[in-house]
Amino acid sequence: MSSPVTATHPHASAGVGGARILIEEVTKRYPGQKKPAVDGVTLEIPAGKIVMFVGPSGCGKTTTLKMINRLIEPTEGRIVLGEDDVTDIDGDELRRRIGYVIQAGGLFPHMTVAANIALVPKMLGWDKQRIAARVDELLTLVSLDPEVYRDRYPKQLSGGQQQRVGVARALAADPPVLLMDEPFGAVDPITRQRLQDELLNIQSEVQKTIIIVTHDFDEAVKLGDWIVVFAEGAEIVQYDTPERILAHPANDFVEGFIGSGAGLKQLSLTRVQDIDLLDAVVARPGEQTSTVLRRVEEAGHHHVVVLDERQCPIQWLSRPQLSRLGSIDTSVDPNLPIVTCRSTLNDALDNMLVFGTGAALVTDAHEKFVGVLDIETVMKVMTAARKKMAGTKPADAPLGLNTGAMATVPPAQEATR
Amino acid sequence: MWDFITDRFGQIAFSSWQHFSLVAQCVVLATVLSVALAVLVYRSRTLSAVANGVSAIGLTVPSFALIGILIVPFGFGVTPAVIVVTFFAALPILRNAVVGLSGVDPALVESARGIGMSRARTLLRVELPMAWPVILAGVRVSAQMVMGIAAVTAFALGPGLGGFIFSGLARLGGANSLESVVTGVVAVIVLALVLDLLLVVLGRLTISRGIRV
Amino acid sequence: MSAPVIPEITADPAAATGTGLRGRTPVFGHMKPWQALIIQPIAILVILAVFTVWLLNADLTPTEATTLSPGALWGYTVEHITLTLVAALVVLVVAVPLGILLTRGPFRRLTGPVLAVVNIGQAAPAVGLIVLLAFWLGFSPRAATVALILYALLPVLRNTMVGLDAVDPRLVEAGRGMGMSAVSVLLKVELPLAIPVMLAGIRTALVLLVGTAALAAFVNGGGLGLLITTGINLYLPRVLIAGSLLTALLALLFDWLGALVEHLARPKGL
Repeated sequence: MSSPVTATHPHASAGVGGARILIEEVTKRYPGQKKPAVDGVTLEIPAGKIVMFVGPSGCGKTTTLKMINRLIEPTEGRIVLGEDDVTDIDGDELRRRIGYVIQAGGLFPHMTVAANIALVPKMLGWDKQRIAARVDELLTLVSLDPEVYRDRYPKQLSGGQQQRVGVARALAADPPVLLMDEPFGAVDPITRQRLQDELLNIQSEVQKTIIIVTHDFDEAVKLGDWIVVFAEGAEIVQYDTPERILAHPANDFVEGFIGSGAGLKQLSLTRVQDIDLLDAVVARPGEQTSTVLRRVEEAGHHHVVVLDERQCPIQWLSRPQLSRLGSIDTSVDPNLPIVTCRSTLNDALDNMLVFGTGAALVTDAHEKFVGVLDIETVMKVMTAARKKMAGTKPADAPLGLNTGAMATVPPAQEATR
Repeated sequence: MWDFITDRFGQIAFSSWQHFSLVAQCVVLATVLSVALAVLVYRSRTLSAVANGVSAIGLTVPSFALIGILIVPFGFGVTPAVIVVTFFAALPILRNAVVGLSGVDPALVESARGIGMSRARTLLRVELPMAWPVILAGVRVSAQMVMGIAAVTAFALGPGLGGFIFSGLARLGGANSLESVVTGVVAVIVLALVLDLLLVVLGRLTISRGIRV
Repeated sequence: MSAPVIPEITADPAAATGTGLRGRTPVFGHMKPWQALIIQPIAILVILAVFTVWLLNADLTPTEATTLSPGALWGYTVEHITLTLVAALVVLVVAVPLGILLTRGPFRRLTGPVLAVVNIGQAAPAVGLIVLLAFWLGFSPRAATVALILYALLPVLRNTMVGLDAVDPRLVEAGRGMGMSAVSVLLKVELPLAIPVMLAGIRTALVLLVGTAALAAFVNGGGLGLLITTGINLYLPRVLIAGSLLTALLALLFDWLGALVEHLARPKGL
């Protein structure tokens, strides 16, 4: 079954913007069906963390998600948000306190972007100026220029932009909890990667409790602090960190779900910013190549990274290239292999393969150059991580178990962790 | 009421038959004409627009008004009745035929030409069968519509169940006037439902299972 | 007119998608909507002008002259418009809420039977319906109005239901998920998105009403139909033409007004 029964209670407001959620023995029975769709699930969602619900289609993960904000009313069970029992309060009022994002954003096509975002604040009675300021603030947060996008209609936006507005709308009233149902399913892989990175950026600023349903395990590994693996009937098979699930899948079902390539998947667990990058020799446009060449030789390097006034990389020149030029100009090389520091090693390796180089330039969130990443470094990190994983003990994990009919698990299985 | 029907059963049956055959024949004629016209027109955007426009205007103009206008050149009698009913029947069918034919996926037409089918063959074996469900839907609409219009034409022109309605109206207060009107109305409703049913069956038989909704 | 003009949504795909103007604008379906909106009334006015000129210069017999005097014509037109508008108003007040009701969860089961009943009513010849009602309610504009109301119910009811059903259920879910109440979602999301299809139905109903109102003449209901019946009964072709032409123009006018409202009321962004 799932992780140990010992539950920890992360403090709900220790510097995080999210609230803890507890769903207790929640069951959903549909009339006319023999087995319940969700059978006695007890789940604790720690405050300020991203928890991913993964599982095959029809396993009940979306149903469980929708019971948290009671879009689907549980047949039995209790739901606790923060310190309040919200099982019986007015559903509409509860949902105004929780952000909800569905696939493709669910934007209302007959309202402008600003009107869409302003919906919940308006319902809560904020005044006009506060709403307008909040709309602009949120658009900036999701990397959309307010001046340009405020008065656009959803049909004028691309899929990725619509999804961003959807997230902005969900965050409008600053809810402590955000529920997302396959939010990045409807966009192309490149946009999806960018949206995932941006969500992580946003989360680092707001630290809300986010629950995301996805059928893509790679996405779960990339985004989640914790992952719940569901089987049919919303049976919790494993509830643990991505690292441990990858390293120690609870049973064949989870292994099958992870699929092959678990080793490569572990590359998704480490971010570029977490590892030591290589230094590089830098130069500015206008410098004489002879001076630069000397610096490069003294450092024992083979390349120099040219930065503009904003510290952003514009060229990456080798020694032979340097010796052919007289001075360094201001031209920008469009084909620089650049990787952001929030990218996972998986993305970084992918980029290196695409550009055909054995290394990549790493920039921070403001596109400033921070260092160089090469394949050897990635390999070293991988090996070290695997060695570390082999020796870890199961730490405290949040509570997650089934108390329904399926809870009759032989005691022996519980001790396998 | 019941006596009225049994006494005049022969008359009612005859009128119903007249009414039905008028509508049926006019609808068939209208279908042939409309589909032919649509085939000529659907590949040109301007001509299609004109056809749609004529159809829209024709359907906007009240039937009674149009009957009035057509009486002047054509007079009274069976021929004008046929002309009026066919004209009205043609309008929805024409619009649906144009929409249906233009709506056939161009990729399909291209595949057909690509494997060597001539224009005529493509039309006959690909485009018309694909457009047929939409055309048939138009025929159903048209049939229902002209069932009622045929009743009005009786006022000026002659055949059909409209006669019961108008004679009942004329004899207002007299014997059996109400029964006469009721008979006319109910008979038309019954015929309309019967014709619709027949068309549904026709659809079942003629629409390939592959494209049946 | 005795039956729906553009009855089944399945028969007119363009109407079903709510892009009401495309294909519904006479002749100029491929032009920009606002251009067609200008041409239609101009055409109507031109025809009206030609008619007036003809009327003034025609050599009318005394009977014709009285029947076609400007005062009489105006009177008939006003009667006709009154019949149409009163019936339209009642239809709106009845059919739209009913349509909304029938698309709400618990009432969906009633949809089938209700539509079946209304469909049967539609199959009845309009003239028969009017006469029957007159037998019952007396030969007056009132009977005619009731008949008109029953007749125009179907297009508005059906379009309201189709329009509401066509709203993407995920949008409703997004709305409820945000904390909007069911009523709020109906008013702020579902109805605005269903408006194009609903207005197409109302426009159809208006044209239908003008046409059917012409039959009111049979039951002392007044209106322009009187010119047609008189023309036929007394064989006065000019009166007949006048009545038919004016009725047709009135129908086109209402169609244009409907198109105008459709164009103006269409939510931006759709």
